[in-house]
Order: sequence, then C-alpha cells, then structure tokens
Amino acid sequence: MMDVKRIISKIEKGYIKNNLKKEQRVDGRGLWDYRDFEIKTGIITAAEGSCDISLGGTRIMIGVKYDVGTPFPDTPDEGVCTVMAELLPLASPLFERGPPDEESIELARVVDRGIRHADCVQTKKLCIQKDEAVYIIFIDMYVINHSGNMIDCGAVGSLAALLSAKIPQGKWTENGPEWTGEYISGKDIINELPLAITFGKIDDMLFLDPNLAEELVSDGRITISVTKDQITSIQKSGSTTFEIDEIKMLSKKAFEAADKLREDLNLWQYAENIEEE
Amino acid sequence: MTLLIQDEYPKKLFREDGKRLDGREKLDLRPIKMEVDVIKNADGSAYIEWGNNKIFASVYGPREVHPHHLAKPDKGILRVFYRMATFSVFDRKRPAPGRREKEISMIISDCLEPVLFLELYPGTSFEVFIEVVDADGGTRCASTTVAALALADAGVPMRSLVTSCAVGKIDGELVTDLSGIEDKAGEADLPTAMTWFNDELSLLQFDGQITQSELEESLEMAQDALEQIYEMQLDALKRKYINIQEEAED
Amino acid sequence: MEEEIDEELEEEIDEDLDEDFEEDTDDEEDTDDEFEDEETSREIVAPGEVLSEDMENFIPGRGTILNKKGTKIISVLVGLKQIKKNYINVIPLNGFYTARTGDKVIGIITDKNPVKYRVDINAKYNAILKPRNTVKRSKMRRRGKSSHNLNTERFDIGDVIVAKVISADRLNNPELTIVGKYLGKKMGGIIISIDPPKVPRVIGRNGSMIKMLKSLTDCNIFVTQNGRIWIKGDKIKKERLLIEAIYKIEREAHTRGLTDRVEEWLQNEKEKRGIK
Repeated sequence: MMDVKRIISKIEKGYIKNNLKKEQRVDGRGLWDYRDFEIKTGIITAAEGSCDISLGGTRIMIGVKYDVGTPFPDTPDEGVCTVMAELLPLASPLFERGPPDEESIELARVVDRGIRHADCVQTKKLCIQKDEAVYIIFIDMYVINHSGNMIDCGAVGSLAALLSAKIPQGKWTENGPEWTGEYISGKDIINELPLAITFGKIDDMLFLDPNLAEELVSDGRITISVTKDQITSIQKSGSTTFEIDEIKMLSKKAFEAADKLREDLNLWQYAENIEEE
Repeated sequence: MTLLIQDEYPKKLFREDGKRLDGREKLDLRPIKMEVDVIKNADGSAYIEWGNNKIFASVYGPREVHPHHLAKPDKGILRVFYRMATFSVFDRKRPAPGRREKEISMIISDCLEPVLFLELYPGTSFEVFIEVVDADGGTRCASTTVAALALADAGVPMRSLVTSCAVGKIDGELVTDLSGIEDKAGEADLPTAMTWFNDELSLLQFDGQITQSELEESLEMAQDALEQIYEMQLDALKRKYINIQEEAED
Repeated sequence: MEEEIDEELEEEIDEDLDEDFEEDTDDEEDTDDEFEDEETSREIVAPGEVLSEDMENFIPGRGTILNKKGTKIISVLVGLKQIKKNYINVIPLNGFYTARTGDKVIGIITDKNPVKYRVDINAKYNAILKPRNTVKRSKMRRRGKSSHNLNTERFDIGDVIVAKVISADRLNNPELTIVGKYLGKKMGGIIISIDPPKVPRVIGRNGSMIKMLKSLTDCNIFVTQNGRIWIKGDKIKKERLLIEAIYKIEREAHTRGLTDRVEEWLQNEKEKRGIK
C-alpha cells in the first residue's frame, strides 16, 4: 500500500530538491537513468495486438483493435491510427471517475503525435481499396498503476502492442471488404520506432523519467519524441519554462536516451511473425 | 463496426469424444489463477485469470465520500465500478461505460455487501474498481471473486470471502463454468455466488430455460464448483505471506 | 464555522515548542510487539475461516466474531491466529489506520481556514487541528492585554506535523493537538509509509528493532501509529538503506527471528554498499 496524496508535503519536496542538487535521486538513480522496463506482448486473447508494460511502478495495459471504414475524402488511400488513454481510478487515488480528463487526453495525444509524425504507422499500407475501405487501428491504453511518466511507458508499450498485432488481411470485392484468409503483421505497417523521452524539471534541475513524487513536486516536464535521427514531436507541459540552452541540451540527451532504450529493449523482438522467416 | 472476420458460434458445443470444445468434462472448471497485491497504489488489490478472462480489482477505502451528498450518516457505502476495456471483447467496445457495466456493478455490489461491516464506518465509502482487460464468458463471476480478494487484501474486516461461479446448459446438458462460446451459443446461464459465513447465495441470476429438477441439479453443481474456487481464493490470499515466511525463515 | 475562537483563551505562542527538533523519542520503551508473542502462531487465517468450535474454553477476541448460532469463532481479517489465555485473536497483516485518542500521528496540513487546519493523517477522515491546540496554555494568562490572536497563520499547506489525537470517534473528524513533548512541526528528512498494523514490528519489543535500526544506520527515526515514519540521516545512502530495511520489516512482519535477520541483512548491505 502506497501513501499517494495530491498534496505533497514540504518535507518530501525539500528532500527531493536537496538530493537533486547533489545529483542524487531518491530512488537511487542517476539523473539520466530510466527505471526498468518490463514488457509482455500477446497477452490479451480478444485483442489483435496487446502489451502489458511496466516502467518502474507504472503499469499500462495496451490493446490494439481494428475496424474497416471509409477513408477521409482528403486522404482516400490512407488508413487511420488512433490512440486513446484511460487513467483508471483503479490505478491511483489521484485518478477520478468520469469522462477523460486533460491528463489522459494529453497522454493519448503525445503518444499519438509521436507515432503519427514519425511516419511510424504507414497509413498507406492500411488501405484496402482507395476511396472505399481502409483500416482504422485503435491503440487503447489503460493505466493499471500510476507511479510517474505514463507517457514514455505508453509510447513504448504502444509500439510493442502494434508490433505484436496480427490483423486479418482485407481485399476488396463486389460485396465490399472481405477477409483473404491471411493476416498482416503489425511490423508490416510500422516503419520507424519513435520513442517518447520525458524530462522533469524542478527549479533549474533537469532529469530523465520522473517518478510520481518527482512529478508531483515538479512544475513541469518536456517530452521529446525521437526516431534514430529525427525529432518527431515535442510537448512542454506544466507551468515551468525552459531556457533555450536547456532545450538544446535535452534534445541531445533525448537521442542518447532513445538510442540506449532501443538497444536495451530491442522492440523488434515483439514483432508478430506471420510467415516463418 | 465492419470486421473482416465474423464472431461465429459453432453448431455443436460438444466434441465427438463427448468433451466440451475446450477439452473439459462437464463438471470441469477452466484453469484459474489468482494473485493479491498487484496494484501498489491501492489499499488492496487482486488479479484473476479465469480461462481467458483477465481481470484486475482494486479497493480504496474507507475514505471520505465524494460527492459528499452520497455519504450516509449511519453507515459506510460500498460502491463497485465494473468496467471492460475496449479491447477485451471481439468487437471493440465503446470506451464509455454502458448499461450492462452499470447493471453488473450493482449486482456485484449487492453480492459483496452482506460480508462487510458497513455500519462501523459511517460517512465513508469503500470503492471497488474492477477492470476486465480480457473477457471470455463469466466475467461477472470472476469479477465478484477477485473483488472479494481485493477487499480482504485491503484489510477490510469481512464476515467471510465471497466466491462466484456460473453453471449452465449447453446442447441440452448441464455444465459447470460456461466459456464465452458456451455462454453465447448455449441455452441457459445461471451465475451464482456464495457468502461463506452463512453458506448462502448472494448472487443468483438466470437466463434461459431449464426444468425445476435441472435447477436443483445446477445448484448442486454450483456448490461443488464454488467450494473448489473458494479453496483457490484462500490459497491466493495466504500464499503471499506463506511464500515470504518460507523464504525468510529458510 | 463549526467552532468559534475562544476569545478567553489568550495564550502566548510558546517559544519552547521548538520547530526543528530532532530528538529521538523514548516512547517506544514499553511497547509490545505482538508478532513476537509466544502465543502468536505462524498460522495465517483469512476472513470467514473458523478459528475454533470449542466454545467452552475460548472467547472471541480481536479480529474475530461469533457465527450467528454462536457455535464458532470466525476470523474477519487476514492475519495470524493468536490464542492468549482463553481469547482467540487475529493479529492483522494488512489494514487501514483508525485514529484512537492518545495516538501519535504524523500528519500533513492539506487545507486551512481561519479557524482550523485540515490534516491528512492517513485515516478514513481528515483530522482537525484548531489553533488553540497549537500553543501551550500559558501559566500567565494576561487578561485584558492584547496578545496574539489565535489564527491559522502558523502552518502552511504541505507542512508536516507530529501530533497527538485528543478525540476520535466513529462519526467525527479526529481532533489533534501539537502541544506536548516531541510534538510539533517537522523539518527536513523524509517520510515513508507502511501498513499501519505493522508499526509495532518496526518498533519491536521494548523498542529493540528501532534501536538496532538507529544504531546501524545513524539515522533519526520517528515512528507513529498511523504507519508513517520520519527518517533523517546525514547521507542519502544511509537513509536509503534504512528505508529498504523498514520495507523489509513490513514485508516480513509475520516471520520469526525478524530482528536478527534484519540486523544481519543491514550489516551485509553496509559492507556491500561501502557504508561505514
């Protein structure tokens, strides 16, 4: 049982700040270290793809579902990939029941933008018949336990869930879209693996992967999503402000952190192999 | 929803060898796994895998009631929120809670309330959140079972645990613990739950058609299944502590 | 406003209510650690389980009830079965904190208005601290003279206090005082939380566990009944070691030989981590 409170005590604030000044973190990490990731895919039988991911104490269940619909008129040969997030009241006393609040919308949006702009999901490959039928891919995230930095956790988990997805392959017939009897693998539609890298800021101290206490003490954070060589989205959030030099430094750190994560996590291992290769 | 593969039901629910489609005999339960203390932020929590069902439950309370007007001056209130993830079913479910989820929440709440001492906690609420992340028939029974575990894990005083299981009728035969397919394609479904402090039923619903003698037989089958699941519940609750004892005192 | 300020009560802010005290308490001296009792078995029981049907020799004690017919003693908690004289008790292994008069608690000020503070004490209701319970009743009541108005200027939201529960019942918010030895505002250090039923274990019989923890980690520790523990050491390494040791105690509370095992673990870890 944890003692999670919206009002964080001055003692805890002071403790976190004083240690950060000495480049120490209360959970024993260095400033630029991630907590441990744990990833399991293919756990939800009813979903086309799924991932149970933990980052430290933060745990998110992610499922991929599909639908076939008509394309938007301005993109007649492109499918759609949407991301949704729910911060379940099950996961934290800080989460309330009711329609999605700002925090869950931000989580979904930041993960979504990271994926979208990196051309991660190749929307043209989600087309069954131009003007007629395209896939709509749903990535739905449910937060099971919240201990900080849901964005990075959700971003990695979404990729793993997508990679592990096995979606019925469609063909166009007189009667509309029909199943070919084959499947397409998530990896066939993913081009890049953009990772969301989030930094917290407390006073003028910057650090990677804020845990819950750090998140509650900090005035804001910045998420930089990167592929191997491109920045695909940036989201500054909270009331804090960043110096231009800080952003320059953090963007460099983001690539370093992402490279390391890519190597440590080896996300392609979660790809569903439809044919034996 | 337009899906490329349709959710079709088989015509027969028994195989040539007389076994059920998943290989079970009539009275067999599906494999069940339970674990407590899986959500660290919660006051108590539990997880259950029951066949393909995968369900989390967490408990918060007793705590002050929000909104305040729901508080009762003479007793605490129990609020259960049963929800299903969008991806837990074949057709992606809409994210907002539907009528079915609200009804099941109420049924589970009514089923759990007899074991609690709500009169000792006036003005407060116990909230039980249930999230079905993978569904394959019998989620209300599995949810009730896992919610009882989460309450015990929270240290909420209870007269006893509550255990739930369904029996039903498929292809004219009574069977224990309907799977998703059996539930949809079968003829009858009878979810039950037992409160063990008085050995009485605190959940009973029925849909379908059975004779009076079949009802009697079903209830006996249910009792037998409930006893098996109750043992697993007790084991899950204690195993956490016993494992630590063995590891530490070794 | 449920409470008028007692105008009659003109008190001086007592300067010896030192805001930054780091004294250790000796309160733990006469504490009992039921987990260590001979009578406490290792048998883990669950709600609804029958503890005894021998109604001639046994009486239902804490954590138990009689069944309707009065023929069985039944556990209502997850805990360890204890037979003490002719009582059958269950020592809980998990659970929430219920405020009792006389308890010391670590609380966080979460809200204030002109006449009271609301204090989160990790209980089902927020506690109330009234300004008149924040200052000592001065021996010299200076009637007529203007003196400090009692108000809620003294603490801010987020402040941490050690307080004593002066009233608690089922219906009302518990009331606190910070007038007394070792009570008042806490500065510095860090607070961790454990399951309240395991607090006696961290203190140990006659304070044996806490003394050992203090001496091996050189940290100050202040444990209160609501499951909160205040810790302050000179190095984060030592504080982290102590925190891990406390979580180990919480986790293994229901095992035998705990003090010795934690001591051995601490010695080993100190060596591993290069802590002198």
